[in-house]
Amino acid sequence: MGALMKPMIGAVLIAVAVAWLTPAQAAGQPSGSAMAHTCAGCHGTQGRLGTVEFVPLAGLPEREFLKAMGDFRSGKRAATLMGHVARGFSDDELKAMARYFATMK
Amino acid sequence: MKSKPFPGLSTAPSFPRGRESGLLWAPAHAGATVLLVAGLLFAQSAFAMPTASRTTSLGPAELRATLASMPKGDAARGAILHRSHMCASCHGDDGVAPTGNWASLAGQKAAYTYKSLLDYQTGRRLEHGRANLMRVAVQVLSRQDMADLATYLADLPAVAAPVPESSPQTAKAAELLVRRGDPTRLMTPCASCHGARGQGGVNATPALAGQTVGAFTRAMLDYREGRRVSDAHEGMRQFSRRLSLEEIDALAIHYARLGKRREGAQP
Amino acid sequence: MNRRQFLQAGAGLALASALPGRAAQASAQVVIIGGGVGGATAAKYLKLANPALKVTIIETNRTYIRPYGSSEVLTGHARMEDLTVSYDALHHRYGVDFLFDTVTGFDPDKKQVRTAGRQSLAYDKLIVSPGIRLDYAAIPGYSQAIADTRIPSGWIPGPQTALLARQLQAMKPGGTFVIVAPPTPYRCPPGPYERAALVTEWMRRHNPTGKVLILDPKDNFVTDATMQLGWHRLYGYDIPADFMQDMPAGVQNTGRPAPIAWVRAKDGGTTRGIDARSLTVHTEGGPVQADVLNVIPPMRAGKLAFDLGLTNETGWCPVERRTFESSVHADVYVIGDASIADAMPKSGFSANTQAKVTAQAIVDTLAGRAPAEPVWGNTCYALAGSDYGLFVADVFRLKGGKITQVSGKRYLPLDASPTQIRLGAVYQQAWLKTFTEDCFA
Repeated sequence: MGALMKPMIGAVLIAVAVAWLTPAQAAGQPSGSAMAHTCAGCHGTQGRLGTVEFVPLAGLPEREFLKAMGDFRSGKRAATLMGHVARGFSDDELKAMARYFATMK
Repeated sequence: MKSKPFPGLSTAPSFPRGRESGLLWAPAHAGATVLLVAGLLFAQSAFAMPTASRTTSLGPAELRATLASMPKGDAARGAILHRSHMCASCHGDDGVAPTGNWASLAGQKAAYTYKSLLDYQTGRRLEHGRANLMRVAVQVLSRQDMADLATYLADLPAVAAPVPESSPQTAKAAELLVRRGDPTRLMTPCASCHGARGQGGVNATPALAGQTVGAFTRAMLDYREGRRVSDAHEGMRQFSRRLSLEEIDALAIHYARLGKRREGAQP
Repeated sequence: MNRRQFLQAGAGLALASALPGRAAQASAQVVIIGGGVGGATAAKYLKLANPALKVTIIETNRTYIRPYGSSEVLTGHARMEDLTVSYDALHHRYGVDFLFDTVTGFDPDKKQVRTAGRQSLAYDKLIVSPGIRLDYAAIPGYSQAIADTRIPSGWIPGPQTALLARQLQAMKPGGTFVIVAPPTPYRCPPGPYERAALVTEWMRRHNPTGKVLILDPKDNFVTDATMQLGWHRLYGYDIPADFMQDMPAGVQNTGRPAPIAWVRAKDGGTTRGIDARSLTVHTEGGPVQADVLNVIPPMRAGKLAFDLGLTNETGWCPVERRTFESSVHADVYVIGDASIADAMPKSGFSANTQAKVTAQAIVDTLAGRAPAEPVWGNTCYALAGSDYGLFVADVFRLKGGKITQVSGKRYLPLDASPTQIRLGAVYQQAWLKTFTEDCFA
């Protein structure tokens, strides 16, 4: 039990730290499209991509995008570099990006 | 607290002391055996991606032999490998893909997973960039590792995947193909090989219940357009060409809906 | 032509077209000088944001040769043709106009540019994406003529890249391939070290007693720890003591000679000059004899930035950070390597996201809106070997008037698993495709 609890406490601490460290928003939040454009170098212009190694983001349901980015950010989901990128965005910003990609078909 | 991360694994996910200069990342001067391995690694490098046209399927006899020699899997060990080798990142902690882009593996037939991992490792499956990702990801797995992973995933319950809106007619059309097939097109019912509930069948015939719409559709189109040739009996290459694109979409939705309902999931 | 002549040439322009479109936003004219990553991306995203804009790229060359990934030509992983990118998609799919010509005149007051082909173009907004200039003369004994014929830099891909590839292939068995690394700031921070790694890997098969030696005027470089760990694992490179403390357990130096070496400034690696005839590099630590010599000289903003008077005393272009509008001339924007962008590295990915922010700022400004809150990114993959991928990943914001990295950790963790590292190499190859598409297709 103790062995199981330790990683859980660790995860909670990380989650708190991430929430604390992510840039404060509200006033100067970039638009969903502006943030989404930073993804395009790998995930395709407006999230559109053929069958290559990266995930196409166009049309991705919002909840799937948010779950993926949330898990990358907290470290719950293993990644090469997506964890680093996800830590550059707040919850509200991820929501705005999710909305942008969900509307792209 | 210092702990050994994954005790007892032959394919350790980290670089434990004493093996740091071992087989995986061999210095040039470390000896003949190592050089041989290094040469092999180079041949399989990201740069050296073979073309799909060079890939061939495992024939029925080879498939039988491969499955007959499959080691007995250890699900507990598979659970550890599933995380340490990053399988969980795209296929989900519980084998349920977090997005519709990747395949769900929960409840998959162990024989199919084992055979697929081998196909990726040997370059038999290399239909496009995503298959290439798998080819590289499974490079360091042993046959025992593959059997362990396959056994672990087979024990997980399949979960229904999200589906786009569709009409009752679509559902009916799919139902008909699954249960009855279409004799006018010489199509046997899908269920005759994949099971009435999409639970999979013999000879590494995969389970389809709970498969994501994205992965299902991609597989069908890859078979249909000749990119994927990994079906030993050539069944899917035949059937996928007799189906319309609408029927493929309908079947994708049909199979995605099967499996356990997840709490809070969209219908 | 010096800068004064250049500006005079611009001032002499006839006001033929009376600047149509200045008033009406719908038909506003944006002229972009330079069809590299920055210019191409800006053109594409301007048209995506407002298809009614008239967007013209002035570019000297009919096709683009991409610098990112160009070291793979040295080792035969890629051919020169693979680096060549067409402008067709930008023209046909997005309606971007091209003028294949060289800018020879500029009048910032009348907002016009003139070309060698005697074309004059009026603009409402001008984007300048001039890239870098290699300052060959900064190294005594080196020059462009020597670089073109005997000691290539290959840092702007082209004939020098092909020459360097031929020299590597013809190098005598057991020879030394010397790379003179540049001082900061320079284009593609991990690039010289990735090149060294790929050449080392190539030699293991083709020239097994050959060596790679990096002479560096710096003590550190971007990705230095992860890159050296890769060299250690792949080539038996001994990691310097000051990097050792961060390395994962089990990493142990052998004390044996390795086929790759990095001589830092503190160890005398700074180059004082070269002798082109004997291929000798005179460093602070003494002379070094090369069999193939690859000098990557100091860099400044591309020549055009100087001609247009957009640079300051640093040799780079000061800009207003939110939009990258030049601090020197209004309605002129400088993006990419040539701009001064604080924490952002001089990389293709940086230029790509700068272009998008600037394109949106221009669209907003022309529509009478204030420019939106900017966000930039940088994702660079690099290889320590064909199977060994590492990276830098950043998100940047505007904070207190400076471009600031907000995402924290930047590099592949030193304790990354073999699977992560292998996948990094696959993603690096995929990135070359997807990134090129986002810029040019």
